[in-house]
Amino acid sequence: MQRDKFFKVIENVRHPNEKLIKTHCSYCGMQCGMNLRVDTKTNKIIGVEPRYEWPVTVGKMCPKGVTAYQQTNHKDRLLRPLIREDTSLKGTKEGFREASWDEAYDLIARKFKALQAEFGKDSLSVFSGVSMTNEKCYLTGKFARVAMQTRYIDYNGRFCMSSAAGGFLRSFGVDRGSTLPWTDLHETDCLFIAGSNTAECHPTSMFRVWAVQERGGYLIVADPRETPIARRADIHLDLRPGTDLALANGILHLLIENGYTDPEFIEQHTNGFEETKELVKEFTPEKTSEITGVSPDKIIRAAEIYGKAPNAVVMFARGIEQQVKGVDNVSAYTNLALVTGKIGRPKCGVATFTGQGNGQGGREHGQKSDLLPGYRKLTNPKHVEEVCQVWGITPEEMPKPGVSAYEMIELMMNKTIKGLYLLCSNPAVSAPNQNFVRAAFKNLDFMVCADFYLSESAEYADVVLPAVTWSEDEGTVTNLEGRIIKINKAQEPLGESKPDWQIQVELAERLGRGQYFRHLKTARDVADEFRLASKGGYADYYGATWDKIEKQDGVFWPCKDEKDPGTPHMFLDKKFYHPDGKAKICALPYRPPAEEPCEQYPLRLTTGRVVYHYLSGNQTRRIPFLRDMCPEPYVEVHPETAKRYGIEHEEVVRLYTRRGESFYKVKITEAIRKDTVFVPYHFGHEKSINLLTNAALDPISRMPEFKACAAEIERIAVREVR
Amino acid sequence: MKQVLYIEMDNCIGCRSCLAACTQCGGHEQRNRNYVLDVNPLVNRQTIPLMCFHCVNPACARSCPAQAIQIHESGAVLSALVEKCIGCQNCTIACPYGIPKFDEEQNLMYKCDLCIDRTKDGIPPMCASVCPTNTLQWITEEELSRKKEQHQLDNGKWMASMPFMEGETNVKMNLPGILQGKVKLF
Repeated sequence: MQRDKFFKVIENVRHPNEKLIKTHCSYCGMQCGMNLRVDTKTNKIIGVEPRYEWPVTVGKMCPKGVTAYQQTNHKDRLLRPLIREDTSLKGTKEGFREASWDEAYDLIARKFKALQAEFGKDSLSVFSGVSMTNEKCYLTGKFARVAMQTRYIDYNGRFCMSSAAGGFLRSFGVDRGSTLPWTDLHETDCLFIAGSNTAECHPTSMFRVWAVQERGGYLIVADPRETPIARRADIHLDLRPGTDLALANGILHLLIENGYTDPEFIEQHTNGFEETKELVKEFTPEKTSEITGVSPDKIIRAAEIYGKAPNAVVMFARGIEQQVKGVDNVSAYTNLALVTGKIGRPKCGVATFTGQGNGQGGREHGQKSDLLPGYRKLTNPKHVEEVCQVWGITPEEMPKPGVSAYEMIELMMNKTIKGLYLLCSNPAVSAPNQNFVRAAFKNLDFMVCADFYLSESAEYADVVLPAVTWSEDEGTVTNLEGRIIKINKAQEPLGESKPDWQIQVELAERLGRGQYFRHLKTARDVADEFRLASKGGYADYYGATWDKIEKQDGVFWPCKDEKDPGTPHMFLDKKFYHPDGKAKICALPYRPPAEEPCEQYPLRLTTGRVVYHYLSGNQTRRIPFLRDMCPEPYVEVHPETAKRYGIEHEEVVRLYTRRGESFYKVKITEAIRKDTVFVPYHFGHEKSINLLTNAALDPISRMPEFKACAAEIERIAVREVR
Repeated sequence: MKQVLYIEMDNCIGCRSCLAACTQCGGHEQRNRNYVLDVNPLVNRQTIPLMCFHCVNPACARSCPAQAIQIHESGAVLSALVEKCIGCQNCTIACPYGIPKFDEEQNLMYKCDLCIDRTKDGIPPMCASVCPTNTLQWITEEELSRKKEQHQLDNGKWMASMPFMEGETNVKMNLPGILQGKVKLF
């Protein structure tokens, strides 16, 4: 398919007694192509070899990708089900014994049935994740609603992609994370990247980013920190955490005022321009500077560059999305493309850097509290009817919409929810306000966790089920471009571990709902049912057969039938997905973060990733190379701030907010604002920065505000007397 | 078609994927053989890879009293031969860049051999294969000459090898600052 200037025909090295299995990485939304090396005598995965022919990443991998294979046969793998014997030890690794699958299933079925008999169907819940295939994500939605018959299902995308989804739905009427393929990026003339530490979080995008500058194009980065990508940006908009909306409005105002708009595009293809123009008038460079802390000349220059660029792409990530106004931020940055008409043609558009491997596909097919497969809505009777036909249930049997991930945890605390089936997620690290979250998990009557390692969250479970890693199952994943790709199986499941779809099919049988599941004997069976369930929805995967995915190097949705090659570029016909075919330019009044600095908590705390770890770190902290490179969290502090507190490099300090405290080594760096401190979030137990973060939620996406809260540092060390 | 390892230091983001990948070359016994340095860690995030430059006249091989360091016909300066290396570490001291590493247990020097099992067949070394930023590139001599034309740095000189290195090297490189004097599109 796409063969760009980075593509070279390169043969792989083939060692004797080895075979190569083509697949993709287990981690982020880049889904880099890789070959797993499998020993043909032991049939075990033993290493990795680049996949030069994969058009998006041409063999490139970050250190997580290179070492991803080490997860499969890791000594920490769970090989048999675990049953908790000592409930007083909940929250620790202790108190479990090994059990058979039969015993574990029996216990789960008995407990779940008893809770539902006494407290109703909705006393149970499912908390899922999107670091797994579309097939598993689809089946988890069906499992919750048909087998467990509960309304309470939601997933960790609420801590990841839900603001981008909400913003795109409002602006475009459709939520595909990128309106253009990644293979366009290096050919654009300006990249405007907001709230994305691309170099560390999506490293294999970087060769395309640098190529823009090498061609004489521009890179604009908005970030409170001078991250490795900001270091080389033409303009670094070093804003205060949580003030993105003002910055986007300020840039929009300048684009309009200085005549960089496309009046014809605005007139024919959008709504809302006039009221938005009025609203952003007040965001002069001076006012924008006052709110954001970015100097006016940089704001003016950034607007000029984006405005003048013949082609430009606006990109963003969790930095703007994990805020109480995350959805507004997404729509506000999308406004830039809409007023200038830099969308709906090659080399132009808007994209979010999807965080999790299947953050895109996993949110489309019914794991979200209010959604059904194909991005259908539970509140739309026609949609419910369509899915019921595939599932073989009546619309009356379909549970009503539930609540978002963090709100489910609140319902665990107040005992509305008494049972939990957790899979593919580690909320005891990744959710905000951890003291509350951990208390809520302890408050559950019965908790099941399916994972391939004993995660921090599994420590709260009554039963732990051993799932497989990505390399021991097959299925499809939708990468950050919206391209459906194929994950291939390289090894049989280790020990007695099983893929999540199989666990759910077997558990459904025990719950008396086997007739809806027992026809699903392979991942391919699930795939075929899932394609059918998505058919006719706007995230239509029906035409994305596994064969076509292999043949075409992936298929971009929507893909409606066998003949449809898919849709790499969205909106080429300038038709958006709102009923009138127009996009919406949104007038978005500025509001500050939920918690602003004050006398007691004068610093702004923001969190993020490092290149060596993925999400809660449950996988990457176990990989020796990655652990050695970043064994523990730290707090980044500007030297002037450090001086004010009298703290030194590598000294341990107490960092605290209204919700919690933790102790971190100080990392002094000039690459951060003086009013801001940063801590990476991949660490658990007492080292988790989410003990401190704020659970204030975006009103639309229900995304917590991980990226901005008020904090204070306390010096604890006594200086050594020499 | 002769290909060379080319290093564009300015591109480095410090992900150390090159180090992780180094262990994946079949001949490397799961040990990485190179370095990535934080240039000024208390100030900014600039990092640079430090790989063996495969000198045309390598000090490591010259200083070896046991002829344990062989030079491949491609110019790659190979890792010490197990049967010849006496573990004296002369090579590490002699190397102007401190590249050769030492295994205390085996009493053996080991260093970058440019993934000779791969590069002898024209397959890029592991580090350049995976490098997410194109800091490390495996390019033809034609591509290399295009890069020379492309990068007009402030002193007007091609930065690779001389005069900034101790001597002529097979691996070519550019110091940070490639965007200086870049003519913008608009």
